[in-house]
Amino acid sequence: MGFRNKEKIPAHRINWKKEATMLPGYIILLVWLGFTAAFLLWILGASLSTTPEIMQGKVFKFETGLHFENYALAWSQQNVARYFANSLLYSVAGCFFTIVISAPASYVLSRYKFICNKIIKSSLIIAMSVPAVMIVLPIYAITASWRNAPDRLIFTVLMIFFRVPYTTVYLLNFFATLSRSYEEAAAIDGCSPAGTFWRIMFPLVQPALVTVTIFNFLGIWNEFFMALIFASSQSVAPVGVGLLQIVNSMRYTGQYGALFAAVIIVFLPTFLLYIFLSEKIIAGVTGGGVKG
Amino acid sequence: MKKDYKMIVLFILPCVITLLVMYAYPVVRTFLMSFFSMPNITAPVGEWEFAGFGKYEKIFTSTTFIRSIQNMLMIWIFGGIITLALALLFAVILTSGIRFKKFFRAAIYMPNVISAVALATMWIQYIFNQQYGMLNSLIKFFNGTPINWLATDMKFWAMLGSFIFGAVGYYMLIFISGIEKIPQDLYEAATIDGASKIQQAFKITFPLLKGVTKTNLTFWTINTATFYLWSKMFSPVDTEASVVVPVMYLYDTAFPSRGSTGADPGAAAAVGIVLALIILAVYLLMNKVIKDDEVEL
Amino acid sequence: MKKLLAIALVALIALSSVFAGGSSESAGGDGIYSGVELNVWSMWNAAEPQGQILQEAADAFEEETGCRVNIEFRGRDISTIINTALQGEENIDIFEEDYTRIGQQYAPYCYDLTEMAAAAGYENNSYALFNNMSNEWAGFLCSITEQPNMGGVFYDKAKFEAAGITETPTTWDEFLDVCQKLVDAGFQPLALDSTYSDFNFGYHLDRYIGEATTRELSLNGGWSDNPGVVAAAEDIIDFVNRGYLASGAPDEYPASQNKIGFENVAMVVCADYVTAEVNNNTGAGIEWGVFNYPTVPVEDGGNGSTASYAGTNSLAISSYCENPQAAFDFIMTVVTGEFDQERADRVPQIPADSNNTCTSLDGAVETLLASDSSLTWTMGLNANGDLRTMIKDVVIQLFEGRFATGEEFAAALDALY
Repeated sequence: MGFRNKEKIPAHRINWKKEATMLPGYIILLVWLGFTAAFLLWILGASLSTTPEIMQGKVFKFETGLHFENYALAWSQQNVARYFANSLLYSVAGCFFTIVISAPASYVLSRYKFICNKIIKSSLIIAMSVPAVMIVLPIYAITASWRNAPDRLIFTVLMIFFRVPYTTVYLLNFFATLSRSYEEAAAIDGCSPAGTFWRIMFPLVQPALVTVTIFNFLGIWNEFFMALIFASSQSVAPVGVGLLQIVNSMRYTGQYGALFAAVIIVFLPTFLLYIFLSEKIIAGVTGGGVKG
Repeated sequence: MKKDYKMIVLFILPCVITLLVMYAYPVVRTFLMSFFSMPNITAPVGEWEFAGFGKYEKIFTSTTFIRSIQNMLMIWIFGGIITLALALLFAVILTSGIRFKKFFRAAIYMPNVISAVALATMWIQYIFNQQYGMLNSLIKFFNGTPINWLATDMKFWAMLGSFIFGAVGYYMLIFISGIEKIPQDLYEAATIDGASKIQQAFKITFPLLKGVTKTNLTFWTINTATFYLWSKMFSPVDTEASVVVPVMYLYDTAFPSRGSTGADPGAAAAVGIVLALIILAVYLLMNKVIKDDEVEL
Repeated sequence: MKKLLAIALVALIALSSVFAGGSSESAGGDGIYSGVELNVWSMWNAAEPQGQILQEAADAFEEETGCRVNIEFRGRDISTIINTALQGEENIDIFEEDYTRIGQQYAPYCYDLTEMAAAAGYENNSYALFNNMSNEWAGFLCSITEQPNMGGVFYDKAKFEAAGITETPTTWDEFLDVCQKLVDAGFQPLALDSTYSDFNFGYHLDRYIGEATTRELSLNGGWSDNPGVVAAAEDIIDFVNRGYLASGAPDEYPASQNKIGFENVAMVVCADYVTAEVNNNTGAGIEWGVFNYPTVPVEDGGNGSTASYAGTNSLAISSYCENPQAAFDFIMTVVTGEFDQERADRVPQIPADSNNTCTSLDGAVETLLASDSSLTWTMGLNANGDLRTMIKDVVIQLFEGRFATGEEFAAALDALY
């Protein structure tokens, strides 16, 4: 989050009268914010407490000290390390290959006229709004018959395919705004059209690539519905499904401290990412105008 | 520019394959499945048996499915009103020249980027807990009687509340982008004419937000129709009637679990088709009812 | 002399093969199942004691036989995916699930274990009850008991003592007296989490109309026409009105049962695992007792049934498994002898091997050995796959005190059909 407040505050005195008319606004925002902060802090406190302390509402007293072993327990015994590695694999591989498929497609769609151009573009936009429930049943039927294909590979491929329409559509506008003179100059220098794309045009849309990759990363990291069907085994589950399994087994083991530690561990990476990239993410939501 | 067809084909092919494999084929197959009976999802087409509209009849006579549709409608209407109202309120506050705008904006949007599973776990295990939860602690502090937030009649609202908390930020951002595109001189003129901030909101901001409201409504509809995760989190052991939604019904029908007799992939596919049709209908309706003709935002 | 020599020779060969087996990793293995791989879909989580012991058993089995055992910990959600996975012939040799579902739903995809079990003398290490039920549902032995559990009313012995209750109740009227005594002594009688509401009410329905009738009603409706349903619901309404349910019940799992550890609640209707759960969650170290769910004698309008719930999480082999004998031998390692005793102590639970001892609940093994039939989970209430969530919802409302009469409750159920 923008902790370093970059708002243009006038150097001269604060206009208190103006601020006063804003008071109701400040109060509403602060209540909302205070609620968010209180509950995040409580979760943090609970993750350092024992189960009986949590159950009896003595979270912030820490009568028996800070139980950092909850984190060790969650990380190793509750298998969070594995879920984490899985999610990382899916997200990184997913983001990379999505760009490899989408960027070239988006480039030719936005800069060349050919017969199926319009149809492909509309299909991509329709595909973006096809709900997952419409496609999971047949895909399950296909993948179930590959008895020996590793689940990880199947899920990674699904995630890539799942992000391609959005990514391609998102990049269309950015490629369209590039000047023709780049390609013309490259052609004069004897550069092949494909080479022109990879060496010149692709780097030029880098900011858009970064934004769309952030969204792809978050989307895959937080994916749940597809993961529940295609990657529910503990060894291949991503963090979302893994956390659900931890919650479900908690009633047998009663390690609530470790449960909240697991919640914090799952929460932290995207939270940290957000602290550093919030400006870019927010600009992406409003600027792109398409849903992630 | 010279066209290089070889390159075009090479560049576009993976994307087209994706469309065919991941979308075209499955959508067509799901559509066909909804008219057939089959023993399980993986059954080859040879084992399918034509059922006409039987599957649609089946789901629409199932009280569980009807309940799931009712729940979905309640999420759509009540959740939609509250979410969009809150989002608009925040958007108006944040664009009124408040200090720390970026910080507040980022903080409110934050729940959108973290894992919803983690978020839902926090709500269920802490906020709504009867024993030590935040809400009941507050009630006890004011000497009230603690409420069982997760009883059958409260559970739905508890779920909706926690879902709204996470969703508001996204719609707020869309509203903000709409407001920021409204020409500033309109407000300046209004201020000179002596209009208060609240009057300005009603006279200038809201009428000019038709376009983004349409965007928000469309997203909200898609969000509601595909609602699943929160229901799943709020019924951890087994599907519960108070929070059941169509996608959950679909999942239970396609992958039968505890105590149920058998899979009915055809009926599950029919649920998928119904949901897709709802989204399509709302999309077309939005385009008809709300025309963003006045100001291009 | 010759005999002795022969024995010595056999021993020598056996010994050498053990050593060879021990150092055979590089040579490809000489164990009886070397080169064999088994894929196990487990319902546990690697962090739970059951999961840990399963993994330990797999390591020991590999050491001993050279058979590689890959365990996929799928967690409780295995129940949503296993049916489809078996139909699709996914790579599963062994899977874990509730034995009712294995017997009633997955049996067509299960290997017939009858012969292997007979050869291994499995009947001496198991409970006839579960084997009979499996046979009855599937027509053959399709599952091997791993975690037996039994239902009843579980109570905190200390609180019963404090309330001056010396004898556990057997009939519903005696049960109500016990509740009143508890209330008089300042205790709350019965905990109930909504998750178990259908189990609790299913028990009560059994006392009036029996499991078969409940199943029939669940599938086809007609609740209002059955006076037993109305009477059973009236009992519960009366029970709730008397204030015998713990405050907040029916609660969100596990809040209500935890109140036995944290607060002054005395009893819960559940299966035996509730004892370990409450002790783990609350650290209360409660000493537990158990009695059968009270009966409703014929003269009070009931059917006098004294049946009790028993069930088990079991292991089964897929019908398309390529090495059924290896799979079966592995299952035996898991559910008998040392590993089973270890699980019984560590979870804690009732041992799957009837020769082992149950350290957590007195007399559990004997009770299970003595019974030859049992009620299933929820006693037929959730037989209707499409409506079970709706039925459960109505039952929860019954415990929430939303119905004034039994007729209203029955009508609410019938409205679902």
